Amino acid sequence: MRLEQAALFTYSKVYKLLAKEEFINNAKVGKVLARKCTKCGHFHLVTTYFCQNCGNKTFENAIIEGKGTIVTYTIITVPPEGYEKYVPYAWVVMKLDNADLRISGFMGGIKSPADLPLGTKTKITGYDERGIIIEKL
Amino acid sequence: MEKVCVIGAGSTKYGKLQDNITDIALQASVDAIESAGMQPKEIQAGYISNVFGIADKQVHLGPVIMSNLGIPEVPSLSIESACGSGSVSFREAYANVAAGFYDAVLATGVEKVTHTGTEWTTTYFSYCSDFFYEGGAGASFPGLFASMARAYLAEFKATEEDLAMVAVKNHDNGLLNPKAHLRKKITIDDVMKSAVVASPLKLYDCCPFSDGASAVILCNEKFAKTHSKHYIEVIGSGRGGSPAALQGREHITTIPSTKIAAQAAYKMAGITPKDVDFAEVHDCFTIAELVDIEDLGFFEKGKAVEAVRQGRTRLNGDIPINPSGGLKSKGHPIGATGIGQVVEVFDQLTGLAAERTVKDAKIGLAHNFGATGASCAVHIFKSV
Repeated sequence: MRLEQAALFTYSKVYKLLAKEEFINNAKVGKVLARKCTKCGHFHLVTTYFCQNCGNKTFENAIIEGKGTIVTYTIITVPPEGYEKYVPYAWVVMKLDNADLRISGFMGGIKSPADLPLGTKTKITGYDERGIIIEKL
Repeated sequence: MEKVCVIGAGSTKYGKLQDNITDIALQASVDAIESAGMQPKEIQAGYISNVFGIADKQVHLGPVIMSNLGIPEVPSLSIESACGSGSVSFREAYANVAAGFYDAVLATGVEKVTHTGTEWTTTYFSYCSDFFYEGGAGASFPGLFASMARAYLAEFKATEEDLAMVAVKNHDNGLLNPKAHLRKKITIDDVMKSAVVASPLKLYDCCPFSDGASAVILCNEKFAKTHSKHYIEVIGSGRGGSPAALQGREHITTIPSTKIAAQAAYKMAGITPKDVDFAEVHDCFTIAELVDIEDLGFFEKGKAVEAVRQGRTRLNGDIPINPSGGLKSKGHPIGATGIGQVVEVFDQLTGLAAERTVKDAKIGLAHNFGATGASCAVHIFKSV
């Protein structure tokens, strides 16, 4: 039993590293790689080990279309290091259309709140040094 | 469990300080020890909270502070929990005294960052977020709270002027606090005209980056009775957590960890929010104070704005919030803030708060969280 648990743990560590890379690869083509709990069906982002809803440890991968709507956002005028050249830009939280999941990321070209009413339709378009890239649909 | 008391408290001024991080921490610690009427040799453990010691070339602060207090043999714990480090440290100190491991301990919080400049602090503070999704996608800390603010204003039909009222009130209180960082009367107009940092938050919606240290002595009741006439009792202690990233929260206008910590603290104290006479809450940004006072149960969800408009949270209101000036005016040396709140509660309940005294106060609450409320601690105190 102890040996079995150790083997599982090693496996999940490796799995997680691959998952993060896969998550980024999916974001690059506009998709969200999520984990769906095999027991209760709850969705999580792929960096989660245990189900937040039921504590189960097994998941199946779910590739979700990276489309959704803006829940909230800010327009950054005093940026952290590395983002100076993008100012002003928005950091946004979007709710995915096809799963009960929210995901946040970087959105360029936003100068004032008039440019981005809450509820605006958006999509994930990539991943680079700015993080997950989200654009208006 | 042992009854736990706070018998000594000390703070440096908060602001831009010239001394190095160790000296700042020692000044507050010595003040706390002397106010407790005790000797350093009676301290049995130290709890030292700090986040960015690396900025002043000193981490592992615990042993350095103990050594300079002449008690190098005393064990210490150096604690980081972002902006909530102080209250988390206080909780560890509380738990160890309550459990009977120690009779008396020192809890000191310190921060020294103003020499690093705005770009460094904005960048390093963003490391307290869930970095892959937040800091690593360009979100600053003001930006994360600004996102909470935009959602709150939309959901509860509040305005940016409503946020500004929180800043105005806290500056009014801070004017009465000689140790506050920003001692300056401001108007709603001043807030509205200040530079936008992260829309909809403007400069005057944000607390400053501050240097400073605060320290308290916690002990069991027997130790308190034999050392001082001026002490307060810890009657409730609660902690909680929230999804680290804002995207993980179903409701962005509430902070789950505050609710969890508060419920635990109220339950232990055997009181309800109505019994609290005043509270020091985590107002790193104006929006945070509105969310806090709802999550702590002082007002229903969405009703904080109305309460602020009616002046109910002012020093002479029915539930004064942040009589010290809060993080907004008193300042926010992040490793010290949670301890500094306890110092304010101590001063209020032992008659040391001078002009900013909350009338007839018997029960005070301190609420402090880390990052966007990913970690939180709430403590409730009673005068003796």
